[in-house]
Amino acid sequence: MQLRPLLLAVFFALAVSAVSADAAQAVWSGLVIAENVPQPTPIPPELTKLEPTLKELFGYNQFEVIGQSNKTLKTGQEDWLANSKYFGLHVDARGENDSGYALNLKLYKENDVLLETDATLSKSSPLVIKGPQVGSGQLLLVLVVKDDEQAHRRRHAEPANPITAGWHRLRRIIHNVIP
Amino acid sequence: MKTFEEKWTAWLDGQLSGKELIEFEATLPDLAVADAEKRDAQKLGSFLKQQLGVQILSNAEFFSHQLHERIARDTQDRHRPTSTWWTIPRLVWSGATALALFVITTVVLMNQHQPGEQSEYLTQILNSRVDPAANPNATIYIFESKNDNKVTVLWTEGLQTLPADYAAK
Repeated sequence: MQLRPLLLAVFFALAVSAVSADAAQAVWSGLVIAENVPQPTPIPPELTKLEPTLKELFGYNQFEVIGQSNKTLKTGQEDWLANSKYFGLHVDARGENDSGYALNLKLYKENDVLLETDATLSKSSPLVIKGPQVGSGQLLLVLVVKDDEQAHRRRHAEPANPITAGWHRLRRIIHNVIP
Repeated sequence: MKTFEEKWTAWLDGQLSGKELIEFEATLPDLAVADAEKRDAQKLGSFLKQQLGVQILSNAEFFSHQLHERIARDTQDRHRPTSTWWTIPRLVWSGATALALFVITTVVLMNQHQPGEQSEYLTQILNSRVDPAANPNATIYIFESKNDNKVTVLWTEGLQTLPADYAAK
């Protein structure tokens, strides 16, 4: 039969494209110095959404990025480094699951590991780590999953699976009703 | 003023009398033939009365029998249960089954997110450690922001303070 190999090839191509498209997300990792200054500079665009939360949590009026990395994850197994002059944030992605990306984070001060943590970074929930006090300010580590442009466009072009969407909606309703 | 037919019918029935009878019989062309016809009519009348009486009785019994059958059928229909699948016991069992399924589904859903457990929609901190030699008094807290940003915060206290030079890019 000529049809069977053709169908298999189409199915395989669709599966590969779906997996690669789903994995096409970027993680922004930033080393941020938060401090109170008389004339604060505008917050970097990557932190705009988090500005109220950061100000409320830490009480500073300026958030300056001293090192950053914008890593597009395709397999979920990548690792990368966000560096400043003295600090380095090493992120080792160890796979992706329904909850997000499994990450191992290490904050280096020059060659010393100040802090190490394992986390599952959700696509809808940023991670903020309060680091050491630096002068009059505070070092913060921020990790945010960002949709890349292609995935963003696809999500708007294609409607969500109604069954999956309905299931998630039902779960949210039940969680809201019975907290 | 009675017509001839009316008077003829009354004469046949023997309902004319006196002067009216005499006058009517005088108008008849042949009284003997008319009498013979009257006798025949009376015979036919009595025969029909006899036959119709039997027939009426027969119809009464027939209708009575039909009525009894109809009443019996109606009574049976009223007492016989309607032939639908949704009987009361089945309705009760169906309701109980649906309720049980709802409860089971709810419990399963709730077990997927225990109170106090971090939601799968939030970033989860699995474990954290600081260098105990450099930061012997360091402590770590994990919490979630209360606003809409769903920020997961790993809060450290007691880390060694560094000079401002370390804030360099």
